[in-house]
Amino acid sequence: MFRFTVVEAMRRGTLVFYFAISNIVLLLLALGISHPVNEPDIITIFGKPLARLSQIGLNVVDFLLIQLHSLSIFWIMIFGMFGVAGLIPSMLEKGTIDLFLSKPLARAELLMARALGAVSGIALNLIYFFLGVWLIFGLKVGVWHSGFLSSIIYVVYAFVCFFSVVTFVGLITKSAGFTIMLAFVFSIISWGLEVRENGLYKIWDNVVYHRFLDALYYLTPQLNAMLENSTRVIGKLPYIPNAPDFTFMPFVYSFFSTCLLYLLSIWYFSRQDY
Amino acid sequence: MEAIQTIELTKHYRSSAFKRNNIPALEKVSISVEEGEIFGLLGPNGAGKTTFVKLILSIVHPTSGTATVLGYPLGKRVLKEHCGYLPENHRYPGFLNALDTLLLFGRLNNLQKEDLTSKAFSLLELVGLKDWAKVKTKKYSKGMLQRLGLAQALINDPKLLFLDEPTDGVDPIGRKEIRDLLLNLKAQGTTIFLNSHLLSEVEMICDRVTILNKGKVVRTGTIAELTTQKLAYIIQLSSPLTQVSREQLQQTNLPIEYQDSNLIVSVHDKSDLNTIIDILRASGIGIESMNQQKTSLEDYFMQIMKGENSL
Repeated sequence: MFRFTVVEAMRRGTLVFYFAISNIVLLLLALGISHPVNEPDIITIFGKPLARLSQIGLNVVDFLLIQLHSLSIFWIMIFGMFGVAGLIPSMLEKGTIDLFLSKPLARAELLMARALGAVSGIALNLIYFFLGVWLIFGLKVGVWHSGFLSSIIYVVYAFVCFFSVVTFVGLITKSAGFTIMLAFVFSIISWGLEVRENGLYKIWDNVVYHRFLDALYYLTPQLNAMLENSTRVIGKLPYIPNAPDFTFMPFVYSFFSTCLLYLLSIWYFSRQDY
Repeated sequence: MEAIQTIELTKHYRSSAFKRNNIPALEKVSISVEEGEIFGLLGPNGAGKTTFVKLILSIVHPTSGTATVLGYPLGKRVLKEHCGYLPENHRYPGFLNALDTLLLFGRLNNLQKEDLTSKAFSLLELVGLKDWAKVKTKKYSKGMLQRLGLAQALINDPKLLFLDEPTDGVDPIGRKEIRDLLLNLKAQGTTIFLNSHLLSEVEMICDRVTILNKGKVVRTGTIAELTTQKLAYIIQLSSPLTQVSREQLQQTNLPIEYQDSNLIVSVHDKSDLNTIIDILRASGIGIESMNQQKTSLEDYFMQIMKGENSL
């Protein structure tokens, strides 16, 4: 089931589109980026030097890698995650779920294989792109950026956590459309909860409301915080004042909320009639 | 030994997640299916036929009652290793071809990959899809999908095969092939549980049937038991009735029809039958043959349903 779901995920049109974009970006980088031998502090893209960035105190490589990292996450969110969000509801369709449940397979096994298969479809695409970028920068610029390479782990972890929400919503609604919509809403809520002290708190100055937002923040995977932290392992951008250092805490909190959501999903799935 | 034994199996569905009122789908259904027989479950739409199969395969959970399948209680994973299932309106991933579909479901049945490919090819040949093995299933017609579904249900050499409308969408030649296949499987010892609306087909291949209506068992029996009208006889005469014998027969006050050279009589008991034979003999009319009148399963089913629904 796991392998089948990975193949199904990879064949989703949106993920194929993401793969095509990844290849175009990698091709442009491979062809365009270079590191003139006589000017070691300058990186050029299609002949245009990025020296100006280094003049204002930016590490050019870190800056480029952070931008590529953020771009990749944005694209995978739009084309990848929302593409595979329908995999849980599609498994529950009449005529499909009957076949799967009639096989000697525990419901928990079936659900987890499906969820992890879907996330693996995303992960394989991300790993492909990140490894490609890392190799291009290593080979053409001479910078083998270990931080960028290790950020893959955090990004994939964040998507595994995020998919626990998608799985739960998919099981309850049984609708691909609703699941995609609610996954999108959750990604916005996650950002809102992350900056709640400067945003949502100000809507209503009430302690109960504030504690409710805090509880929601800790009880759901901290997608935004995890993705932000995954960029911090690459480097710091000096134009963001007081940027916090990398912390494992969102990953730790999200581990528990993710486990809780997957357990709830398994419990719900095991009790349902199809 | 029984392949399936259910004791007062009951299923009530909840109308919605937030409402408590229940919709009864099955009410205390007790059915026994012998190993090696072809058993038919009949009933109008909504009678609970599909729910019954889903309960056996733990696709839905029972409200009450118990069952054993191949000696295992409901819900045991090992039970499903010995079962094959062709659901109604089954759907396969359109991006897979027939071979990959069978490999997928074979793997889900814990079969080893080495044996699986040859097994899949032989099944595709059996259901007449060998030439379509590498064509994506999204290009298949309904009948072809039904054949693929049958191959999928057989991938694990099941001891117990559940088929929900197996010939739905299949042309007459294909239907005949499927019937022959099922009879062949029966000869090999497979127990077959058949849900079908096509009563003529059920009549042709089933050993025993149960008729369900509104979630309750209405009748159970062999095809012969259900289609034989015990107190109606067809008497084939060797010569036409005489005027005297006609009058004497009318005096018995039994419903008697005369068609060609046949007398169709409905009697209260065997003494009535003997009376008729005596009248015929006394009139010098020879009797070529005498048989119990049979009705088709369809007629019997309609008769039962009319009776049930008029209650």
